[in-house]
Amino acid sequence: MRVSRNDSVAAANSKEKKSKEKTTKAKSNRGKPSREETQLHKSEEEAEEENFANNVKELLVDDDESQDDESLSDTEDGGSELDDEGSASSDNDQGSDDGDGNEGSESDQGSDDGDENEGSESDQGSDDGDENEGSEPDRGAEESDSSEDEVPQRNTVGDVPLEWYKDEKHIGYDIAGKKITKKDRQDKLASYLDNVDDSKNWLKIFDEYDDEEVEVTKEEANLIRNLLKGKAPHAEFDPYAPYVDWFKWDDAKHPLSNAPEPKRRFIPSKSEHKLVVKYARAIRKGLIKFDKQKEEPRFYMLWGDDSSSSEKTGHLSYIPAPKSKLPGHEESYNPSLEYIPTQEEINSYQLMDEEDRPQFIPKRFESLRSIPAYENAVKESFERCLDLYLCPRVRKKRINIDPESLKPKLPSRKDLRPYPVTCYLEYKGHKGAVVSISTEASGQWIASGSTDGTVRIWEVQTGRCLKIWEIGEAVHYVSWNPLHELPIVAVAAGRDVFLLNTGLGNEEVQGKVKELLHLDMPAASDDSGNVASSWSQDNQHGGIKLKHFKLRTLTICALTNWLRESKAILIHQLSKKVTQRLPFKLHGLPVSSVFHPTRSIIFAATKKHVRVYDLVKQKLIKKLETGLREVSSIAVHPAGDNIIVGSKEGKLCWFDMDLSSKAYKILRCHPKDITNVAFHRSYPLFASCSDDSTAYVFHGMVYSDLNENPLIVPLQILRGHASSNGRGVMDCKFHPRQPWLFTAGADSLIKLYCH
Amino acid sequence: MVKKNKHYRPPGKKKEGNAARYVTRSQAIKQLQVSLGDFRRLCILKGIFPREPKKKVKGNNHTYYHVKDVAFLQHEPLLEKFRDIRAYRKKIQKAVAKKNADLATRLRTREPNYTLDMLIRERYPKFVDALRDLDDCLTMVHLFAALPAVERMKIDVELIHKCRRLSHEWQAYVARTHKLRKVFISVKGIYYQAEVEGQKITWLTPHALQQVLPDDVNFTVMLTFLEFYETLLGFINFRLYHSINVSYPPILDPQLEALAADLYALSRFIDSNVRTSVVESSATSSSVSEHGEQQGTALQESELRLAQLQHQLPSNEAGALMHLVENVEEENEDDQDTKECKKLFKNMKFFLSREVPRESLLFVIPAFGGAVSWEGDGAPFNEAEQSITHQIVDRPTQGHRYLSRDYVQPQWIYDCVNARIILPVEDYMVGRIPPPHLSPFVDNEAEGYVPDYAATIKRLQAAARNEVLPMPGVGKEDTNDPQNLLGESFVSRTEDLVAAEKKQKIAALEKQYHEELKMEVHGDYPSAVSKKTKHSSEEGGETTEELVNESEQVAKDDGLLLETVMTRKKRGLYKAMKIHEKRKDARNSVLKERKKKLDAEKSGNK
Repeated sequence: MRVSRNDSVAAANSKEKKSKEKTTKAKSNRGKPSREETQLHKSEEEAEEENFANNVKELLVDDDESQDDESLSDTEDGGSELDDEGSASSDNDQGSDDGDGNEGSESDQGSDDGDENEGSESDQGSDDGDENEGSEPDRGAEESDSSEDEVPQRNTVGDVPLEWYKDEKHIGYDIAGKKITKKDRQDKLASYLDNVDDSKNWLKIFDEYDDEEVEVTKEEANLIRNLLKGKAPHAEFDPYAPYVDWFKWDDAKHPLSNAPEPKRRFIPSKSEHKLVVKYARAIRKGLIKFDKQKEEPRFYMLWGDDSSSSEKTGHLSYIPAPKSKLPGHEESYNPSLEYIPTQEEINSYQLMDEEDRPQFIPKRFESLRSIPAYENAVKESFERCLDLYLCPRVRKKRINIDPESLKPKLPSRKDLRPYPVTCYLEYKGHKGAVVSISTEASGQWIASGSTDGTVRIWEVQTGRCLKIWEIGEAVHYVSWNPLHELPIVAVAAGRDVFLLNTGLGNEEVQGKVKELLHLDMPAASDDSGNVASSWSQDNQHGGIKLKHFKLRTLTICALTNWLRESKAILIHQLSKKVTQRLPFKLHGLPVSSVFHPTRSIIFAATKKHVRVYDLVKQKLIKKLETGLREVSSIAVHPAGDNIIVGSKEGKLCWFDMDLSSKAYKILRCHPKDITNVAFHRSYPLFASCSDDSTAYVFHGMVYSDLNENPLIVPLQILRGHASSNGRGVMDCKFHPRQPWLFTAGADSLIKLYCH
Repeated sequence: MVKKNKHYRPPGKKKEGNAARYVTRSQAIKQLQVSLGDFRRLCILKGIFPREPKKKVKGNNHTYYHVKDVAFLQHEPLLEKFRDIRAYRKKIQKAVAKKNADLATRLRTREPNYTLDMLIRERYPKFVDALRDLDDCLTMVHLFAALPAVERMKIDVELIHKCRRLSHEWQAYVARTHKLRKVFISVKGIYYQAEVEGQKITWLTPHALQQVLPDDVNFTVMLTFLEFYETLLGFINFRLYHSINVSYPPILDPQLEALAADLYALSRFIDSNVRTSVVESSATSSSVSEHGEQQGTALQESELRLAQLQHQLPSNEAGALMHLVENVEEENEDDQDTKECKKLFKNMKFFLSREVPRESLLFVIPAFGGAVSWEGDGAPFNEAEQSITHQIVDRPTQGHRYLSRDYVQPQWIYDCVNARIILPVEDYMVGRIPPPHLSPFVDNEAEGYVPDYAATIKRLQAAARNEVLPMPGVGKEDTNDPQNLLGESFVSRTEDLVAAEKKQKIAALEKQYHEELKMEVHGDYPSAVSKKTKHSSEEGGETTEELVNESEQVAKDDGLLLETVMTRKKRGLYKAMKIHEKRKDARNSVLKERKKKLDAEKSGNK
């Protein structure tokens, strides 16, 4: 059976016939496959191949009708054969269904037929077909399929060249033997016109054999097209169908090659073995895992009870990052109108320094939908990241207090009255800056010295100028004798010191003064050799003149009538008309010095330090560290245990002699140099005056109880002086009895401030 | 002579002080034997930051780390993990180079990775610590949720989805528990402030628009931060969800998720979850109570159920009961703020139009107790619903209007939330320019300038409080008291002022009198006369001005005098404070000036 089918395939494609035969032979030569397998193969394949065969047949019939006689005859044969094959295959079908017995004969037949020629095979096939025709139920359908073949040919002339009938009027004979006359041929023009008129004309083909026009169907046209392209002709044919090897190779009696099997076929491959070992090892090690890892839930209760969190992180204190600033009104998308800067202001931002320029310029959008995306969103976030991990963090205490609470609690100023508050009087008359003033012990008179070279004596109560001395040189310093009984004024002007008789008091007093101021010439000349000053009678002003190399300041001590001035410190004793040099090393330029009010102690200030010397024992008692840049003035509390030191940087230091060598309190009051400081003799007041043309009045209470620190309360700033040439108030002195303050200004005024 | 080293240390002597305590970054890297990138990563993850030594031994231009910090990094297991990962990468590289694709793929499937759980525990030993540090975390996660995925910058889609999810989970929790306190729309985005476990947490979400990715940003740094933050937020969310008896991670309705209504889906999930858990627990408790009578099978069943619930509930039945009670108590225990927030939009129904920022409003409105819906699929109710009280619209005109509801702009919601009262809707109607949106984070009184609208809101608040107070008598007293006080203080102050003026006048008169006396005393004195005349001529017109000047001067002098007694430290502080104050005043004065100008313009136009 198989052979017949094989054959039918061969018939379908006549050109392949030969080769197919060969394969058939080869197949038959090979051994027989196990039956059942074959059966299965067949039943599967049959349906397909049947179909295929039918289609091919159709194609060929249609095609070849218009071709030459030879091919036509071929086709006819094929057609019949195919037809037969179809029946055969169906029979085969049945056979397989029936059972094995039939099959066995088949295979036998196949093997037997192996060497038979093709013709006989086909004959046999056709015979088979005929036999089974009656019994086949689907035969009719098959028939109808190939009904075209069954249409009787009109022309029975046979396989003769049509040229023979070229000149005849007929083209052949019909089945009854009558002549078939030729039809009239269309001339070219008519055919052309037909061609133009009828769009389907190109599908029409003239069949010379039957002398008629045949129209090609669509399928046929496709088929032709496929053939022209060299493809499989039928549209439904799958050229790439999976190949089914239906041949039973095992049954072959003889092998294709006689060579013995190589050894390598029998020994296991080494490389494969290696690979297997590798994998095995990997599996054993767990490198290759076959079961997928279960995904554990990523999050869980990380913080259980907070009670267990007593475990401290065992390292440095963690400083949490400061939170970013919260937005204000101006960052709103719709801020109040006043938050939006005007165009001018925005323009002015351009002129500002890069760092001062505001980062964010408020903008207003009238509705939520009109807000654009913020272009710096990512950048700001990134900058925050950088801050978080790159910036050093320092814990800083932010003090959130009212600034007023920083101010010290002081006793009310009302309770500390009286103190100088307002300007009561002005003493006018000097032409130049008043450099120095001094009050008389009784408080009735003041003396003032000015840069215009005059010394004046004023009456305090009225402001009347009592006396004027024209010294001629700029006066540095004036000082009354602290003793009321001897109204003498000491004046330092230029390089000289003048001791002047004021002419006040009754005659008795005047006599005493005159006696004191009388100078024995020889005594003075003796001294002048080895001491830096010389005494001489000054007749012009009615006093004594002392010559110095250089002179700075001058003080008169109450007790001993000593005068002192500087380069080194010189002490002039008026009673004996003697000048002494202070026998101490000063370590620096002396700036100012005062005597202790009750004891024979002198406080000598150099630029940085204040030294306290005992004049009797001639020894250094104490050295006070001011910590100032440059000391300008010094004053002693009337009790003698406290001193204040003014400096050129505007600081005022209060020293408590019993407390320590460092300042008890440093008051930073003036923005400019302090020119002078003063204590009141009886009231707990002290004052400082400065080049910023103000004078400060302080309450400075010193308690007799040693455990209590002095109380310092600033009371009043006295203004009124104008500054000239950068100098303000040059000197200040308290009234000896009243809480009044005299100030001498660079504006040539002397003012009296009263309570 | 050999020049001596600045920080000379004789040989054999140990380093001391700052030199021993601080190392520069490059020294630290050398010690840790890591690359700079890894060091950075480690620092970010561990929260190590440079410190400021008192004395910078190596110079000013270095960053210094504390030795202990570096040692802390050295003992971090993550460091070893980083090295492992690096070695493993090399392995893969090698396999690829040798064309061993099989090995390479196999290796790739099993790449080692690390978790940050322990780091979080270490950095935040208590849950509250973590909450305290949450601001940056939330801001970053919300930012990345709005960023586009860009392969070039290694921002992958998965990461962004994760961020979105986490941020929505957080928002859902806040909304559900009504912990949101303040909202502020700024140009930069929307600021939210919530109060969770007593911690004020503020974060910024960008506007829902396409974000720009600048080129000068190092995304590796940001991604490292994000890696940590994302883990942190996950754990925090887990803990928070458990605190309200909702399982985490939540399973969302995929349909809603697809509609980008994640937040709504989440809230629905939470709702359902809470309800079921409560029901379940009640069921168990009942089953437990009937335990004795029940048959064997029922017993088994209930036991099984108990076992199922074991992970959700405290271990024993008593615990379960307790839990129930606790739940009830929790509702009661809500602080005043939460109660207030919960009630703000109660019995109100909102409908969002297409153009309003849906995500934000879907978060804010439920957080304050309102019901919301929106235009689109999956919405709980549609526009035609009759019970809608407000429709949020952000368009120039509204075509079709339902009469039963108000059409307001979205800013109304935010302003209501910040003021905690329902503001009148007139100003926020469609088509109008809404009143200014003010920042709720500013203390106007402290700042010294109160914008007009803030004052208006304050008045409205006062009015609302009066209305709401249950006992009118008490309420009146309460509200009136401070006002009275204020009034009193005001009166006293005015009195003071008047008294001061009087005093000044008296002083002036006295002065004049003194002067005259003086004149009389030294009548012939020329200066006094001239001064007197001058004085009188001045006094004619400028007495008051002079008085003012004088009082000013006195005040100034007082300040100066006090300053002289202060210590230097305090003086510095005081001055700094004064400068700060001055700046603030300058700022306020600019505002006031602008305001005045605007008012003038307005009145001029009228």
